[in-house]
Amino acid sequence: MRRDFLKLCGLAGLGVASPIGFPTPARAATREPEAYDGPYYAVFNAAGGWDTTYLMDPKGVNETNRLYKQGDILTEGNINFAPNAAHIDKAKKGMSNESFFKRYASDLLVLNGLDYSVNNHSPCSRYMATGKLDSLAYPTFAALVAACRGPECPLAFLTFGNYSATGNIVPMARVPYLPTLGQIANADCVGGNVSSPYHENFVSDRIEAALKGQTDARITQARLPRVERSQSMLYSAQLSAKALQRVTPFIPKDTPKERLAQQAEIALASFKAGVCVSANLSIGQFDSHANNDRDQMNLIPELLAGVDHTLRRAEELGIRDKLVIVMQSEMARTPNYNKGNGKDHWSIGSTMFLGPGIGGNRVVGKTDDGQFLIPIDAKTLALEEDTEKGLRVRPEHIHQALREFAGITGHPFSEKFPFVIPEAERLAGLFG
Amino acid sequence: MKVLRILFFLYLVSIARSEEPKHPDRAGIAGSSDFFTDEVWVKIGASKCIKCHKAGGDAEDSKFVLWGSTRDGFLAHNRAAFTKLATARKDGQSRMLLKVVGKLDHGGEDVLKPGSTRYRILEEFVRRANGGVPGKLDTAANREPFFDGVTMLDDRRLLRRLTLSLAARLPTPEENSAVEGGAIGALGRILDKLMTEEAFYDRLAEGFNDIFLTPGIDDVAENVLSYEHFDKTRHWYQNRDFSHIKDDQKRKEAGWELARHYRESMKREPMELVKNIVRNGRPFTEIITADYIMVSPYTARGYGIFEANKKRFKNIDNRFEYVPVKLKALTGRSEKTNQESATGFYPHAGILTTFQYLKRYPTTETNRNRLRVRMYYQHFLGIDIMQLAPRVNDAAAISAKYEIPTMQAANCVICHKSMDPVAGLFQDYYALDGKGVHKLRKEGWFKDMFSPGHEGEALPEDERWRALQWLGERTVKDPRFAVAMVEHVWYILTGRKALRPPEDIDAPFYAARQRSYSEQRGEIECIARRFAAAGFNLKNVFKELAVSKFYRADGLATAAVNPARMAELDDLGLVRLLAPEQLERKLKAIFGREWGRLDDQFKILYGGIDTKEVTERIANPSGAMGAIQRMMANEIACRNVVLDFSRKPAERRLFPGIESDEKDEGQIRIALAHLHEHILGHADQTEVDRSYALFDGIIREAKELGKFEPVEIYSCRVAREIPVNDPHYTLRAWRAVVTYLLRQHDFLYE
Repeated sequence: MRRDFLKLCGLAGLGVASPIGFPTPARAATREPEAYDGPYYAVFNAAGGWDTTYLMDPKGVNETNRLYKQGDILTEGNINFAPNAAHIDKAKKGMSNESFFKRYASDLLVLNGLDYSVNNHSPCSRYMATGKLDSLAYPTFAALVAACRGPECPLAFLTFGNYSATGNIVPMARVPYLPTLGQIANADCVGGNVSSPYHENFVSDRIEAALKGQTDARITQARLPRVERSQSMLYSAQLSAKALQRVTPFIPKDTPKERLAQQAEIALASFKAGVCVSANLSIGQFDSHANNDRDQMNLIPELLAGVDHTLRRAEELGIRDKLVIVMQSEMARTPNYNKGNGKDHWSIGSTMFLGPGIGGNRVVGKTDDGQFLIPIDAKTLALEEDTEKGLRVRPEHIHQALREFAGITGHPFSEKFPFVIPEAERLAGLFG
Repeated sequence: MKVLRILFFLYLVSIARSEEPKHPDRAGIAGSSDFFTDEVWVKIGASKCIKCHKAGGDAEDSKFVLWGSTRDGFLAHNRAAFTKLATARKDGQSRMLLKVVGKLDHGGEDVLKPGSTRYRILEEFVRRANGGVPGKLDTAANREPFFDGVTMLDDRRLLRRLTLSLAARLPTPEENSAVEGGAIGALGRILDKLMTEEAFYDRLAEGFNDIFLTPGIDDVAENVLSYEHFDKTRHWYQNRDFSHIKDDQKRKEAGWELARHYRESMKREPMELVKNIVRNGRPFTEIITADYIMVSPYTARGYGIFEANKKRFKNIDNRFEYVPVKLKALTGRSEKTNQESATGFYPHAGILTTFQYLKRYPTTETNRNRLRVRMYYQHFLGIDIMQLAPRVNDAAAISAKYEIPTMQAANCVICHKSMDPVAGLFQDYYALDGKGVHKLRKEGWFKDMFSPGHEGEALPEDERWRALQWLGERTVKDPRFAVAMVEHVWYILTGRKALRPPEDIDAPFYAARQRSYSEQRGEIECIARRFAAAGFNLKNVFKELAVSKFYRADGLATAAVNPARMAELDDLGLVRLLAPEQLERKLKAIFGREWGRLDDQFKILYGGIDTKEVTERIANPSGAMGAIQRMMANEIACRNVVLDFSRKPAERRLFPGIESDEKDEGQIRIALAHLHEHILGHADQTEVDRSYALFDGIIREAKELGKFEPVEIYSCRVAREIPVNDPHYTLRAWRAVVTYLLRQHDFLYE
């Protein structure tokens, strides 16, 4: 979809009020936006802190875990993973690591040895979601890419929980139930019935024209930044609302029971309809301070099943080749058990990526037997045995790479929320 | 030598005092400006050093102890402390510059990196303190008055904003006349009266509910009362006799309804405490010191105290009538679980010891009351201890290096030395797995945590039974308490939290953002001081904030083209998207009836909260919310235009001076001006012209089309079976105008 800068500023609203000095659009847009055609971004959050040793960073030594030994560790392509098929509850419809990696390893990029720098939920969630530890203002990657790629979409950034700050550059949308989208899809008709409009077309057109005239007139007035921003956003929200009609055909008749599948169906219908750029999906309760193994064996399969559901449904909808998936958590678990058979917070973790343009069957980074990270060479991505020299990969490095991958580094919104990362620390070729 | 040192210190203090801001009542640093204040204090002292170097902090025993901004003369004290340290040397090098990079056994290890912006600022300060002339880092901050060029809401529009926001109604003609007449104090008197209306107390409860979120417990409401202490009473509703209802289904439904009402009544209790304090002009310190709870006839039964109190209720069938009650110490099913009490009463400490609060924020075996501590600091001292955490080089290595990192590793101790003693004060509320609230730990408090206390003061053993009362008494003496309460009222009035200081000093427009924060913070701290000085009457805070420039800022006299100035003004102006509940109330105030669809099915979709899973309101509308706005505008206009015209002119809200077939342009313009005033709160001529163009254009185009239904659409009739004639399309044109007005920013935002 071709983007016109003035249109972008006018619809997103926020840009025109930004202190970085966007040009003010001369006139507000008048037509509902074109359908956004991808790529789409789905960020899966294992909220609470997943145990990476039970997933993509297996450890069979030092009693790091109790469910398998070093010799039990499995491999699919170049990716090592923990076996767990024998430990999951079949009745819960989860997906084992064995099945997940067998199906997706060739597409998967695993990054092990990610340094969160702190180990408390709030700052870690914020850091992992935005790439910025010391600011409350930065948007999440999902929000940023939505603002840059499709600000005119009515549900540009969908969120189902976890840290979801927008940096005031795009509205967040919460859609708890898919059927409610159907109810509001035809807002100008009585009971949503397209054959019963409240106003005849010429009246509706005049109402829209009057609102546009008012918006145009205000563009030339001196306004406080908040006023300017909110007026632009309101106009954009009401205008883009018409595009929600496109979602109706993709609302499935049956709503799945699983938490992530429910979220995924809303996101996928919105992606397919071209009204959404990114979605923040989340399931919680990974914070397994007590009974780590029981909880992780319930939740990791649930997470993987949710990702699998999303990918299979995306395939059915014909958008799999445009769907980028990020799997992350705000922290990992300690390499040992506490007295309650749980594991506490650990600041070295992992992420996984999958989607078009991402080279799969790859593992970048590593942790040692004590689950401490081994630094890497930022340019070659190879392990750096000299721990004083190598790069400790932190969330800002991942986010910088994600921005480059999404092609939004030069966008004014990205520049408004910069990362100060020396060139030598940029992860060249992370995504292949 | 020692005398010389003292004299030198006094000299430094005298210099420092001479540079103090000229506004002694301003507790923040807005209005003051110099290198120490703007650079050293704001960017290093307040954001780094004071985390440990303060009373009760990890470095309280060092010679470098700083004061927080809520204490009188903090700048002078801190300036002197910094200057003294800046002049101290070790082997020819500045002790201060050595300490901050982790040398000289600095307990906080390396807090600044050599060469970083903060380090360079400190270098410059050290140079100046030792007689050097100002270098390149001398900043020329923007010092034009903060509100220069900002226009303010006039009294009449401010009045409408306040009556709608706080009392869910429009101003009365008398109130409008009073403020238009410009009588001194008119607005204050109106606010005094408004804050006696029941709708104000409902709004108050709604606002504080957004903050405390107490209904969001992970259980049915009656289970805030434990089986251990209330096993015979908490499920009283299950024994209610409905045998007089013969129909099985109806009998079941009566039972369900009773349970629902009981639960709702139980959930409301904490906010009834807020209402009771404010309604009776009691000091708001009672939010954490009140030695009573509020109970209804329904919840009293749950506690097993109904019979003893039933004469105090006006109507024992009113589940929402509440009276204050002091509970007796809890009696368990066995003596072991009896609550200890020196007085025989439950040691109430305001909302903090309510069963709902403790159940909403439960302890677990691993967080050991730390969630409660986080909420205590956030709710009562305005500090979110989890928001900004200091980065460490290798947190995992630190975790592994120390046996008890929270007591031994400097990076952890910074927070845990304050947090963990407070966690210990909750030690007798250690029921796990959601099984009630009160439970003693048989083995005593954890040895691998700092012992119970508060800000460096240990809890005396004989106070243990009333530890949270002990905490409450100390909390309300802390200047941060008053500030936190003002921030709560700010949140209720504006829908957003007070600004926090920017952290990244290298970020674009840091200085502008810091100034925004300082200005707002100064205002909040001033109001907090007066609030405390006047006996903590919360209504005073509403009145002060309502007339503050931060609440009244409405526009710009001329366009601000300077990006830094725009960044300064970025948060200014109320501009609040009405929450679902607020929008429904506004519709009722204007049209006489709510829409009725935002309180349930569209509540979350329209950015509302459920106090449990969804706890933050959405501030900017998505396309889904835009669709709901369109739907609301269409339906409300449809429902009200024909209805209003069907009434006698004197009874109309929307069209009191006109009939639907009026053709005179002058009369139509007068009617439009009334509509604008009624729905939007103002009738700017340009906007009335735009509405007239819409109205007139629709009628003209309908006439040009030549063929249209001569009746209003079926769905917009008053009585569906009776057609409503609209031969000239005027009714539909009026409906279009109302739809147009309801979709406007001035209606949908505060």
